[in-house]
Amino acid sequence: MTQALEGRTILVVEDESLVAMLLETILEDMGCATLGPVSTIDEALAVIADGSAFDGALLDVNVAGKEVFPVAAALKERGVPFVFSTGYGEGGLPEEWRGHPTIQKPFTEDAVQQALMRVLGASA
Amino acid sequence: MKELVKSGDLGVDLATAFDASPNPYMLVTPDLRYAGVNEAYLAALDTTREAIIGRPVFEAFDAGPGEEGVESVRIVRSSMERVLATGAPDHVALVRFSVPVRDASGAVSHEERYWSASHTPLKNAAGQVLYILQHTTDVTELERLRQRAEAAVEEPVSALEAIVGGNVLERARRVQEDNHRLSVERSRLIDMFMQAPGFVAVLNGPTHIFEMINPAYAQLVGHRPVTGKPVREALPELKGQGFYEFLDDVFATGEPFEGKESLVQLQHTPGGPLTSVYLNFIYQPVRDGDGRITGIFVQGHEVTANVQATQRQKLMIDELNHRVKNTLATVQSIAMQTARSHEDPRTFAESFQSRLMALSHTHDLLTRSHWEGADLAEILRHETEAHDPLRLVANGPPVALGPAAALSLGMIFHELATNAAKYGALSNPDGRVFVDWSVADQTDRRLTIEWRELDGPPVAAPTRRGFGSRLIERNVRHDLGGEARLDYAPAGFHAELSLPLDRGHD
Repeated sequence: MTQALEGRTILVVEDESLVAMLLETILEDMGCATLGPVSTIDEALAVIADGSAFDGALLDVNVAGKEVFPVAAALKERGVPFVFSTGYGEGGLPEEWRGHPTIQKPFTEDAVQQALMRVLGASA
Repeated sequence: MKELVKSGDLGVDLATAFDASPNPYMLVTPDLRYAGVNEAYLAALDTTREAIIGRPVFEAFDAGPGEEGVESVRIVRSSMERVLATGAPDHVALVRFSVPVRDASGAVSHEERYWSASHTPLKNAAGQVLYILQHTTDVTELERLRQRAEAAVEEPVSALEAIVGGNVLERARRVQEDNHRLSVERSRLIDMFMQAPGFVAVLNGPTHIFEMINPAYAQLVGHRPVTGKPVREALPELKGQGFYEFLDDVFATGEPFEGKESLVQLQHTPGGPLTSVYLNFIYQPVRDGDGRITGIFVQGHEVTANVQATQRQKLMIDELNHRVKNTLATVQSIAMQTARSHEDPRTFAESFQSRLMALSHTHDLLTRSHWEGADLAEILRHETEAHDPLRLVANGPPVALGPAAALSLGMIFHELATNAAKYGALSNPDGRVFVDWSVADQTDRRLTIEWRELDGPPVAAPTRRGFGSRLIERNVRHDLGGEARLDYAPAGFHAELSLPLDRGHD
C-alpha cells in the first residue's frame, strides 16, 4: 500500500529538528523524498515561490511561534495538496481551514501515510 | 419681612398683615436658615426675632425630649427638602412639637402640642426657590379630642368627636404615616440604587432618555453628562454595536434582553479612545399602571477581568497542549532514531533514557526561570555533570539563551559529552575536553562555541553518521539558524558551532 506514495516529493515545514527528522524517517520508509525540512514561514514561502518541484506538503501549524496559514494559502493557490500537523487538536484550526486533513502530534507512521494518501488522491 | 414681601399696589403692608395673623408663619432660606418670622411664631416659640433670624432652623428648634422629638424634626426637615427638590408645595398633616410655656411666675415648662404645617416655595423669575414659607396651624385640641375618643371607646361619643376623633384627624395621621413610610422606602430604594456595586440606569420613552444613573454607571461611561439625553446622543460610540437596536426591541416588544459577556466599545473619557469592556447586563422593560411600556431599566456589571482571565487561561492551556504534544513528538523522534542505531534493547534503553534525561535537565533549568531562558554555562554544567569537572574545562562569558536555544544546546552538549565518554577524550584516563565560547558583534550578536578534545585515544571518523552527529548538525542549522562543523581530527575530535543569538522567536 505504500507504493501509492513511492517516488513522491514532500515539502516538510517544521521548526523542531527532532520532529522534522522523525517525519523524514517516516517519509523515507514510505519511499518518499523530503524537500526541506524548512523551519520558518519565510523559507517555506521562498521554496514555493522559486518553483521547486514537489507533490505535497506537511505543514506544522505553529512554526516558531507563527501560524503557517500563509503557506497553506500559497499551496492552495498552486494546487499543491498538503496536510497540517499540530499539537493543538482539531479545534486549533481557524474556520477557514477547519476539516482539512490534519495529523496530531505525536503521530504514527500510519496516520502520516493515510493523511498524505488522502490529499494526494492515492487510494490505499 | 418688609424687605422680602412686596406689597405692590394693594396699599396694605403684607408684612404687617402676617404679623397680625394668629397662625405662626416663617420664611426659611434654601439652606434652611430663618429669613423671617411673624409675631405668632415668636410667641409660640417664646423667643425673639434677634435670637433666631439667620440661625439654622433646626438649631433653634426643639421638638421636645425623646425619640419622637427627633422624628418630628426629621418629618419637617424632609418636607422642606422635598420643596427644594421638586419646587412644589408640601404638607405635613400632623406633627408633634413641644412648645415652651411661661407661667405667671415666669417659669418655663414644655407643653406638648400638635401642628399641621404646609411649606410653600417662593420662586424668582427663573423658577429657582428663594424661600420656603411655612404656615403652621395648631391642631392640638382636635388631636386631644381624637385621643380621648380612642381611649374611651366604650363611652358614647359626640358626633363631633366621632367625626373629628375617629375620622378626619385619624385619616390625616394615617396619610402622614403612609407618606413617611413611602418616603423612607423611596429613599432606601434610591440609596440601594446609588450604592449598587453594579451599574444601574433608568431610561425613559421610545428614544431611551437617561432619567437616572448610579455612580457605577457614571464611571462606566467616563462620567459624561448623560442624564436627560437620549441614548443615541448620550453614547454616540455605541452606533453599529447593536445596543440601540436591542433597546428599541425591548421597548417595542416588552421582552427583556440579557447580554452575557457582551463586548462593548466604550469611551472611558469623553472624546477619548474606545476601550473594550465585557458586560453582563439586562434590559428590563418598565411598565406603568396600565401595563404600557414607559421605559427600560438597565442593570449589570462589568466582567472584563473575568473574560480576560478565561481567555488567558484558554491560551495557556492551548500553549501547554502545544508544548506537551511537541515534546511528545520530540521524544517519539528520539525513541525512533535511537532504536535504529541500537539493536540490543539494553543499550537502546540506556541511550534513550540518557537522552530523555538531557531533555529533562534543560526543562528543569528553564522551569527555574519561568521559561524565560537559561545561561549557557549552566546548561553545559547540567549536561556534563556526570563527568570529571577537572577534565571538562568550560570557559566563556555569561550568555542568556531563550527556551528553544537552551533546549537545543542541552541536547547538543549531551550528545557531545556522550560521544566523548564513549569514543573520545573522556573514554581514557588522560583525555581532556575544552569548551570555549564567545560572543562577537554586539549589534548582530553571534555565538561561537568550540568543543576541543585532547589526549584521547586516536580518532577515526565514523563509518556511518550516527544519530548523535546528525542531531547536532540538524539542530544547529534547523532550530538555531546556525552552522556546525564536526571535525574528526586524529589528534582529537573538534566541533565548532556558530549561531545567531537574536533570532527573536524563542
